[in-house]
Amino acid sequence: VTAVADPPVDAPGPDPIPPRRRHTARWIAVCTGVVVLLFAGLLATRKPADRTRADSPLLGRAAPATEGPIVGGAAAGTATPGTATLSSLSGKFVLVNFFASWCIPCQQEEPVLKAFDARHTATGDAAVMGISYGDTAANVRSYMSDHGDPWPVIDSVKAKVDWGVRGVPESFLVDPSGVVLFHFVGAVKAADLEGALREAQAAQQAAAPHS
Amino acid sequence: VSASVRRWGPWLVLAVVLVAALVVGARPKGGPESLDDHVRRVASQVRCPTCDGQSVANSDADASQAIRQDIHDRILQGQSDQQILAFIVSRYGRGILLKPPASGFSGLVWTVPVVAFVLAVAGLAVAFRRWRARPGAVVSDADEALVQRALGNPS
Repeated sequence: VTAVADPPVDAPGPDPIPPRRRHTARWIAVCTGVVVLLFAGLLATRKPADRTRADSPLLGRAAPATEGPIVGGAAAGTATPGTATLSSLSGKFVLVNFFASWCIPCQQEEPVLKAFDARHTATGDAAVMGISYGDTAANVRSYMSDHGDPWPVIDSVKAKVDWGVRGVPESFLVDPSGVVLFHFVGAVKAADLEGALREAQAAQQAAAPHS
Repeated sequence: VSASVRRWGPWLVLAVVLVAALVVGARPKGGPESLDDHVRRVASQVRCPTCDGQSVANSDADASQAIRQDIHDRILQGQSDQQILAFIVSRYGRGILLKPPASGFSGLVWTVPVVAFVLAVAGLAVAFRRWRARPGAVVSDADEALVQRALGNPS
């Protein structure tokens, strides 16, 4: 396309459009094109959404005190299931997992959580604590029992707001001193979870090389 | 006199009734606010975390119920509305409030419409002034003849 320097000489009309106006449409088209291209570039260069790590105002802050009656999972079958508290797990990394038995992504992430729990129960450096979300105690009980009752699940309305949970599944990785390090929204992936834990442990090693 | 009374009387009565109804209807309810009303008033400022465009006050989503319960408990603990809202923001982030804050970057939400309105009015005023017929425009004989021909008046 060659640049049109001079407007073609038409039959002289009574009121020719001033040349200034002739470029208006072209300018608008060029500007719109540039904006669209920039937007496409922005979308194309963004990190793919295959990571479930999410932001949260809680990151880097002390985990909310969390406790509640055990409604499923480990210890639920005993005569007095009692309560579980997050602070009783301090000294290990804890994955706080909000879930519901009816939630499909929760069911999808269950094998990942189970593998994580099995691996780190063996090494003793991390544990899982479940918090039921929008579910009945009976359903949680049978769901966890179907999965071998690997960890305790508590019920706590207060925890939903304290952790700022919007839906299920959501998980938080809490460090041994009780600081929230990572937030996961959606079914967590094994690589994300183990990667986050390794990252946190490496940072801990760097901070205290003698331990 | 009777004619004007007959003419304006009904309008006067209508105006009196309307004003009286508005005054009665708009008067705040007497007595202290009930706990439920208080919870609803605070909850109506919080966005439901899972549903679009609804406040926690009129959503039955699980997260909304939990937030309502939390507001209820905090009111009973004697926390102020500001404290309660600050707590909710500290857990969900600023976006949880339905009304954006009037300071900082979010303040643009409030100021931009006002600025745009003022600019638009000023722009229209300038444009109208420019569009006003220019005095001293001279119509040439050729133009005049053209118009007359178009109107079907033989020159």
